[in-house]
Amino acid sequence: MAHVKRYWTIALSTCVIAVLLLTGCSAGSNNGGNSADNPAGAAAEGKETITLKFAFWGDTIEKKTVTEALKAFEAKHEGIKVEPLHIPSDYTTKITTMVAGNVAPDLGYMPAGTALAWAEDGKLLNLNPLIEADSDFRKEDYLDQVWYNWAPDKTLGMSTAVEGYGIMYNKDMLLEAGVELPPTKAADAWDWDKFLEVARKLTIDENGNNALSPNFDPKKIKQFGFQYDPYNMMAAVVSNEGNYLTPDGKGFGLAQPEAIEAIQKLADLMYKYHVSPTPLQTKSLPDMALQTKRVAITVSGNWGLQAFAEQDFNLGVGVLPKLKISNTLSDGAPTVIFGSTKHPKEAWLLYKWMADPESTLPLHAGGLWMPLKKEWYTNPELVAKWAKGNKAHPEGYVDAFMKQTMENGVRTPGFEVKNLAKISALVTPALDKVWTGKETAETALKAVEPQVQPLIQGYYGK
Amino acid sequence: MIGKHRAIVGILFALPSILGLLLFTALPMLSSFVLSFTDYRTVNTPKFIGFGNYTRLFDGTDPYFYKSLWVTFKYVILRVPIGLAMSFLVALLLNQDFIKGKSIFRTIFYLPVIVPAVAASMIWIWLFSPDLGLLNSFLEALHLPTILWLDSEATVIPSIVFMSLWGIGSTVIIFLAGLQGVPRSLYEAATVDGAGVFRKFRAITIPMMTPIIFFNLIMGSIGAFQVFTEALIMTQGGPNNASLFYNYYIYREAFQFGEMGHASAIAWILFIIILIITGIFFKTSKSWVFYESEV
Repeated sequence: MAHVKRYWTIALSTCVIAVLLLTGCSAGSNNGGNSADNPAGAAAEGKETITLKFAFWGDTIEKKTVTEALKAFEAKHEGIKVEPLHIPSDYTTKITTMVAGNVAPDLGYMPAGTALAWAEDGKLLNLNPLIEADSDFRKEDYLDQVWYNWAPDKTLGMSTAVEGYGIMYNKDMLLEAGVELPPTKAADAWDWDKFLEVARKLTIDENGNNALSPNFDPKKIKQFGFQYDPYNMMAAVVSNEGNYLTPDGKGFGLAQPEAIEAIQKLADLMYKYHVSPTPLQTKSLPDMALQTKRVAITVSGNWGLQAFAEQDFNLGVGVLPKLKISNTLSDGAPTVIFGSTKHPKEAWLLYKWMADPESTLPLHAGGLWMPLKKEWYTNPELVAKWAKGNKAHPEGYVDAFMKQTMENGVRTPGFEVKNLAKISALVTPALDKVWTGKETAETALKAVEPQVQPLIQGYYGK
Repeated sequence: MIGKHRAIVGILFALPSILGLLLFTALPMLSSFVLSFTDYRTVNTPKFIGFGNYTRLFDGTDPYFYKSLWVTFKYVILRVPIGLAMSFLVALLLNQDFIKGKSIFRTIFYLPVIVPAVAASMIWIWLFSPDLGLLNSFLEALHLPTILWLDSEATVIPSIVFMSLWGIGSTVIIFLAGLQGVPRSLYEAATVDGAGVFRKFRAITIPMMTPIIFFNLIMGSIGAFQVFTEALIMTQGGPNNASLFYNYYIYREAFQFGEMGHASAIAWILFIIILIITGIFFKTSKSWVFYESEV
C-alpha cells in the first residue's frame, strides 16, 4: 500500500500543477475580458499607475523611434506607463486574435480596411467626443485628408502619418543621358508624351542603343528608364480623373474609360515601349536599382526616401507625370483607440502625443513619414525641421512632395471604399493579366466587373 | 482493490494530456463547428444563420471555393503518388548493402525535414526566380528553354510539388524502417527457390511493405490537403489564384476578410473531405494491404 500512496501523491501534485498552469492561462484572459466590459474598475484604481498598450509595426528604425516617443510620453505624464507592442509581421492576424480573446491593446496602428470595418462593429472608439471635450486640440490644425470617418459624424482617428507619392530618380543618369530633370512644380508637370520620350531616352540595351533607336533590342535591356510598381497604379488613375469606384459609390470605377486608359498606358510602358520592367523583370532587379543604375526613375510613396537616403547616389525628386491633371495620391494607415480600453482619456493623451510631428521627428526627417499637422507644411521654421537640409529630402522636395500632397493629394481607396479587401481579391488577379501582358486593361477589367458589382457597398463617411 | 486504485492513478497521470486535448483541441474544434453556423466576424456577437455559410459556398456565391478545391485536389493528385514513389525509391536505395556511407546519405535526405517551412520557402523563392534563379541558370547552361516556375498559372502547382519532394525525408525514414523489418529468411528461402531480384521485390518486398505504404498514403494525403505555408510565403495564392490552396483560402477568409464563421464552415468541409477520402482508403485497403499477423 505504501507505494500506492506515493503514486497518489505524485499523481495528485502533477494534476494540481497542470490544472494551475492550464487555468492560469485562461484566468488571465478572463480577467482581461471582465475588466474590459467593466469601466467602473478604472475609476476604482485612483492614484495607481495606469498602463497603456501601444501596438505598431515597422522596421527597426521605426521601432526605435516609436519606442523612444512612447518613453518620452511616459516622462511627461506621471502615472501613465506605456507598453510598446511591436508586431513586425502578420499584424492583422495577431491583433484580430487579441481582440477576439478580449486582450486588445489600448491603441495602435491598424490596416485601413480592418479599422473601418471594426469601427462599424463598435470595436474602436469614436474620437469625436474626446476631441470636442479637449480644448487643446483643434481638428482644423490637421490635414483634412488624414481623417478616417466611418460615418458622417464618427471618426476612428487619423492616419499614423501622411504618405504622398512622386517620382524619385538618379540625377547622374539623367545628366549623362542629356535629358532635362523632372519638374518639381505641379504647374510644370510633364504630360504623358513628354514623359514617355524621356523614359525611352533613358532605356538602354546592352549595345548602348536607347529605346528610341531602331536598333534597340527589348530583349537585352541594361537600364530601364522607369519603374512603376503596379501597387502605385492608382496614382495614374486619379491623374486621369478616374477612381476605384464611380463618384456616386455605386459603380466599379476601374472599369470606366478614364481608369482603363490610365492602366493601359502603364501596361504599354512595359509591353509596347519596353521602358519599364515587367513584374517578372522586376523580380530580378536589385533593391538598389537606382543606385546600381539599373533604373533611372521610379514612382514611390514618400516612405521610399528613407531607404534611398541610406544609399550612395545623387537622389532627385519630382512630381508625377500627368495624364489629365497633375495630382498625387495621399496614403497612410490609421492609428486607433480600441473600444475595450479602460483608460480612454489617457489613451487620447497618448494619441495626441503620437500625432504631434515633434514626438516622432526622426521618422519625418529620415524620410519615412510626412507630418499630420498643417503648420508643418506652412511654417518655414517647422518645414526646415524635417523637409530640408537632409539627405532624405533633396532639393525640390518641398514642391514635388510636400506642397503637391497638401494641395493636390487624392486619398487612396483605403480611406473610404467599403469592402475593399474583398473587391481587391477579385481585382488583383484580373490586373495580374494586364501586368503580365496577357490581356488588355479593357478586357480584364470589363470581365471582372460583373463579379465586383455585387460587392460594391459605396463609401465610408458619406 | 489495488487494481482499481491503479486505474485511478493511471488516469490521474494521463489527466494533464487529456485536459490539454480537451481544452486545446476538442473545445476549439467544437466551437468552430458551432461558429460555422453563425455570422461571426471576430468583432461582433455571433448571429445564428443556419446553413447560410455552407449554402453560400456550394451555390457558387463565393467565387473562390470551387477554385481552391480544384487547386488543392490538383496538388494532392500530383504530390501524393509522386512523393510515395520517390520516397520508396530512395528508401530502397538507402537499404542496399553495397552503398557506402549510408548514414551520410540518410542524414542528407532527412536534413530538409528539420528546416522550418518558412525558411525553406524563402530558399525556394530564390531557386525558382525566373531570371536569376539557380534552376533556370542550370536550364540555360544546358541550352534548354527556361521555365516561369511560380510565375505562370500552368507551372505553379507542379513547381510547388517539385519543391515539396525536397522534404520527403521523414517518409523515407518510415519506409526504411519497414524495409529493415522484412524478415531476411523470406529472401533466403526465395533465393533457394531460384527467384531473381525483381521476383523477390514483387513477391516479398511489396506485399510485406503494404501496411507501411498504406500508412504513408494516408499521412501523405492528409498533409497534402493541408498545404499552406508555400501559398502564404511564396505566391499569396497567385498568379490569378492558380495556387489558392484550400488552407490559404481559409486563412484569408478568417484573417484578411475577418469572416470567422464563414472560414469555420470552409474548414469543416475540408475535415469532411479528408474523412471521406481516408474512409475510402481504409475500405479499399482490405484488398491490397497485407498484414503478416493475419496469415
